[in-house]
Amino acid sequence: MRRTVEQFRGSTAMAQVTIRNVKKSFGAVDVIHGVSIDIKDGEFVILVGPSGCGKSTLLRMIAGLEQISAGDIEIGSRVVNDLPPKERDIAMVFQNYALYPHMTVADNMGFSLKLARVSKDEIKTRVARAAEILGLQPLLERYPRQLSGGQRQRVAMGRAIVRDPQVFLFDEPLSNLDAKLRVAMRTEIKELHQRLKTTTIYVTHDQIEAMTMADKIVVMRDGVVEQVGAPLDLYDRPENLFVAGFIGSPSMNLIKGKIEGGKFQADGGGVFPLASVPAGYEGKRVIYGTRPEHFVFGAPDGIEAKVVVVEPTGSESMVLSRVGTTELTTVFRERVMARPGETIRISPDTRLVHLFDEASGKRIVSAH
Amino acid sequence: MSRALALKPGTGTALVRHIILFIVAAITLVPVIWVAAAGFRTQISLLIGEFLFTPVMTNFTEVLFSKTSDFLLNYRNSLIVGIASTILCVGTATLAAWSLNRMDWPKWVVHVFLAWALVFHMIPSIALAGAWFGMMRTIGLDNSFLGLILAHAVLNLPMALWLMAVFVRDVPVELVEAARIDGAGTPTILGQVVLPIIAPGLAATSVLTFLFSWNEFAVALTLTMKQTATVPVAIAKFAQDYEIQYTQMAASAALSILPALVLLLVAQRFIVKGLTNGAVK
Ligand SMILES: Nc1ncnc2c1ncn2[C@@H]1O[C@H](COP(=O)(O)OP(=O)(O)O)[C@@H](O)[C@H]1O
Ligand SMILES: [Mg+2]
Repeated sequence: MRRTVEQFRGSTAMAQVTIRNVKKSFGAVDVIHGVSIDIKDGEFVILVGPSGCGKSTLLRMIAGLEQISAGDIEIGSRVVNDLPPKERDIAMVFQNYALYPHMTVADNMGFSLKLARVSKDEIKTRVARAAEILGLQPLLERYPRQLSGGQRQRVAMGRAIVRDPQVFLFDEPLSNLDAKLRVAMRTEIKELHQRLKTTTIYVTHDQIEAMTMADKIVVMRDGVVEQVGAPLDLYDRPENLFVAGFIGSPSMNLIKGKIEGGKFQADGGGVFPLASVPAGYEGKRVIYGTRPEHFVFGAPDGIEAKVVVVEPTGSESMVLSRVGTTELTTVFRERVMARPGETIRISPDTRLVHLFDEASGKRIVSAH
Repeated sequence: MSRALALKPGTGTALVRHIILFIVAAITLVPVIWVAAAGFRTQISLLIGEFLFTPVMTNFTEVLFSKTSDFLLNYRNSLIVGIASTILCVGTATLAAWSLNRMDWPKWVVHVFLAWALVFHMIPSIALAGAWFGMMRTIGLDNSFLGLILAHAVLNLPMALWLMAVFVRDVPVELVEAARIDGAGTPTILGQVVLPIIAPGLAATSVLTFLFSWNEFAVALTLTMKQTATVPVAIAKFAQDYEIQYTQMAASAALSILPALVLLLVAQRFIVKGLTNGAVK
């Protein structure tokens, strides 16, 4: 606990985190049903999933704030299942910042060092260094109530980095900020990680946050891990319908229907092209997935779609249209001047079409 | 007041409002002033109901300095009992409130505990006084400060527990968790994080507890003798078999209000804040 920043940086402590078949129940309610995740030293991992899926619970088990019902959690190469938080060498940033209201910014940041009996001078130096990294120097003598939301957020991060822990844990740290600040802080946290290279586990329900910040994303639903991968892997190759629908914005069009004669026949009407038919799926029911941004506008041999709404954002146009009763969301780089009720011709890029088995919801591994 | 005036729809209603305020203030203050004034009268002047009287200091000098009066001793006794029982009571209540709120008791345990405290609070203290006297005598604590301190702490515990339970409950859980991650154990969390945050509530509860102890009569009468008697007991002693010394009684009563007055003036800000705000934000 007493090593200085320099000593720590020079050390070869490896802070990988291994979560092995971890379960959690609150009384009779099972919340986490056996989760395994490998997190490498220095990695920025984001747990993402809809609200209530168990992200916070998992993070709190890593922090030691919640008992593990089954399984193992290792930090470094120690099993920490039964260690109290302070012996796990982690720091956590809470959604509502949890700053001590009766302490100044400097005291908030130095509290953990004071408890670890670090000398006053050393505390001062380390707080000053963290404050410099986060641009908090002018605020050190203020109280939390005298700070804006963004500043509080930064102090909470300062409190975490002062301790120089093996692992940073973040629980939805940006969700109390307004949209603009959130985008700015995203970049800042990412930069901070590139600078400190501390293993980070970050929880959010916002898939854009996950996509933009993570080295590795863990998509969770109802207490199970749906898929683990780099952001673009999840975007390019979602393993199942849930991940397909969750990652990407606007979300992927997922159309029910079956494969007939090498093409996809939607239940609601409309025939969609396929690059090839996966072996054994001719005549079978599948889900046809295609991202809004993967359509070509005005292709002469395209599908005829009736425009419902056009939403121009300036840089691109989002078009909601119908093929039969099948609704399609599409995004084009071109300016689309079509009016509601007009017919446009659009064509999905067949190389970027995803097929899912209707029964299992799993991705169909195709030849292409 | 100026705000109330600024919001007024018309001068007429403001006048009515002020008259009402004046009447309420009068109802509250007149008895106190009457008692204090009685302390400056002679017994005869009081009994014949003279309206305009020549103030005399004899009651006060008699009460404070005469050889036969123990009033200063009683005053000291009341302070000892009040301060000690307040520390004991509020300390216990705060720890109990922490335990009930933050130590994962099954819900029913918490509810039963708080309900039981409330029921206990409804028992008139006079009903307990006799039993306590017997118990104290058995263990040799009758006529001792410790006995009365324990009794007052117990009497005030339900109220203190209920108040502190609310204040402790309002401390955000995340703060406690943040402190735990920062490396604090429970004593440190309580002392360095929770207490500073609930300080206004703690102050309010302490003031109320102290005042209840200061005013408590029935149990104090039962558990004390001449050497350990508290102020209310001493005041009652002015009513003797053949004579009631109204004016000395009044002078003592006026003197006994002083600590309460000082406490309220000093701590008023805390009390209002503590009792209305829930202490945290
Ligand atoms: N202390 C608790 N007692 C009982 N159930 C809880 C507790 N904490 C969380 N849960 C439940 O566990 C599930 C997962 O919660 P949480 O981990 O907070 O989800 P997320 O952070 O993904 O939104 C939710 O259904 C929630 O109601
Ligand atoms: Mg959560």
